[in-house]
Amino acid sequence: METMNKLGRILLVEDDAKDVELTLTALEEYNLANEVIVARDGEEALEYLYSRGKFKTRSSDNPAVMLLDLKLPKVDGLEVLKQVKSEEKLRMMPVVVLTSSKEEKDMVASYKLGVSAYVVKPVDFHQFVNAIKELGVFWAVINEPPPGSVKK
Amino acid sequence: MARSNLRLRISQSPVLRDGLAVLSVSAALGGALLIERLQLRNITLFLFAIAVAAWYGGTGAAVLALLLSCISFSYFFVGPSHTLYISRADIPYFILFASFAWLVSWFSSVRRRVEADLLQAHDKLKIEVSERSSLLNLTHDTIFVRDMSDSIRYWNRGAEELYGWTPEQAIGKSSHELLRTVFPSPLDDIQAEFLRTGRWEGELNHTKADGTQVIVASRWSLRRDEREQPIAVLETNNDITVRKRWEQEIQSLNQELAMRSTELEAINKELEAFAYSVSHDLRAPLRHIAAYTELLQKKATSTLDDKSNHYIKMMLESAKRMGNLIDDLLAFSRIGRAETQKTLVSLEQLVREALTEVRDDTEGRNIAWQIGALPDFYGDRSMLRLVLVNLISNAIKFTRPRPQAEIAIGCADGNEDDLVIFVRDNGVGFDARYANKLFGVFQRLHQASEFEGTGIGLATVQRIIHRHGGKVWAEGAVDGGATFYFSAPKPRGHLWKP
Repeated sequence: METMNKLGRILLVEDDAKDVELTLTALEEYNLANEVIVARDGEEALEYLYSRGKFKTRSSDNPAVMLLDLKLPKVDGLEVLKQVKSEEKLRMMPVVVLTSSKEEKDMVASYKLGVSAYVVKPVDFHQFVNAIKELGVFWAVINEPPPGSVKK
Repeated sequence: MARSNLRLRISQSPVLRDGLAVLSVSAALGGALLIERLQLRNITLFLFAIAVAAWYGGTGAAVLALLLSCISFSYFFVGPSHTLYISRADIPYFILFASFAWLVSWFSSVRRRVEADLLQAHDKLKIEVSERSSLLNLTHDTIFVRDMSDSIRYWNRGAEELYGWTPEQAIGKSSHELLRTVFPSPLDDIQAEFLRTGRWEGELNHTKADGTQVIVASRWSLRRDEREQPIAVLETNNDITVRKRWEQEIQSLNQELAMRSTELEAINKELEAFAYSVSHDLRAPLRHIAAYTELLQKKATSTLDDKSNHYIKMMLESAKRMGNLIDDLLAFSRIGRAETQKTLVSLEQLVREALTEVRDDTEGRNIAWQIGALPDFYGDRSMLRLVLVNLISNAIKFTRPRPQAEIAIGCADGNEDDLVIFVRDNGVGFDARYANKLFGVFQRLHQASEFEGTGIGLATVQRIIHRHGGKVWAEGAVDGGATFYFSAPKPRGHLWKP
């Protein structure tokens, strides 16, 4: 119960199964994987955040951080970001964009929408693991999440 | 004309004028004496003499003639004869004579003056008209006058030169028929507007005597008589055929340009979408290959033989190289798409920054730097910096086999308009036969095992310099070092600072 309190919940929004597997592998290496919820597209992510559809019964707390891919089926990452930032209840939740793209326009659009960090997934797996570890440790452990985040 | 001039000349000479008075009175006296001899006493002849003197000699001559007539009459015809004595009874007779004579001379002098004025006005008009039409002939403009039934009345030299008909051929003809005028709008509308405002301006198509077409800028002015009735049209035409042709050419070029730029825009958009999808979709599977290979390596290293481990290592190296290639290619395509933000940039400052950036590569190396004075450069700061970083790191890389590397950066003699910057090294150089391949994308003149790199650095340099309106070129020989040059227009309005 005590460790659960320390470790915030991570919402991973990622459509690619391999990326999900690799991200979970990286998080597992540092014991950060037990509180990860995976949404496979933008719609599912919004369902989770608004506690609707298959997430109807979940507790209404926000995750400690959302790791968000930009290229997603149905509702893309930037659209999810836009909705999150325009919603009073969700806007304080830290959002980290985690993407393959180094495109400047994506970066600019993300920062304009108030993203907390923008991380380009490195090709080198070592670097990728390091990046995920640091993100997980920082946002789910070190960072003090805003009020209304998961405490259980 | 000759007669009127003669008359004017006589009246202007006082000697001739007075002589005329004396002569006419003498003739009258002679005649009167003859009539006296025939017992006919008549004064009418003297009146006639005075009238002649007044008519031809003016007021002075008339007065003189009157005086002489009175003396003659008193001397010869009024008793006592051959004296100037006038009896009291004759005085009213003299006064009557003088008054009548004065009246005659006044009439004739007024009449003569009016006639003289008229002649003078006429002459003046003639001079003016001839002056004016010769002025109209001086101008290069085409000017003609047509009456209200479109019959040509005047045709200047400009009209003859433009259309090829002489005034004799043109005058009397209908202008619209002769010139086969094509109007921009119905002639009735033009006429209505013209009669209402008295002016019209527009472009007309005319056909010359030799059958060629001309386009003229035409200006019409309406001339009215004193009763405000329109009587003539002055038409001034300027040949604008050449100008029109240029205008049309420019217009069609502009259209072509607009079309090309729309096409280019579309291509650019496509390219952007392509780059975006490369950036996203190509990197993901590559990342997965690398990641799973690494996971495999981690798990199976101990159970695999050396060869298998070597294969895994090669797979990882290849994936990494492909990742670098994709990154470089994307960066290269971004340079083509990004907007340049040009400012005045100090190249000296930029070289310092570039040297800081490549410091890691120079570690443990023995390099003699020779950096000359560098001018300011008008361009995009971050792009120019990339140029210098690329050229300098190339120089560092290709001098690696030299125990004492020498790298020089400086400003070469350009021409008046361009700055030329060079980076020279004493490295392995290149075969001058392949110099043209140096700046191509992914073109490499060395084995990857010898000198690492993706072959995109110099292509990037070239693209950036081209975007700045400059050129890049290189000189070198195998094992003889290499010099890379780039040029760009000198900044305007700023003094060259050596």
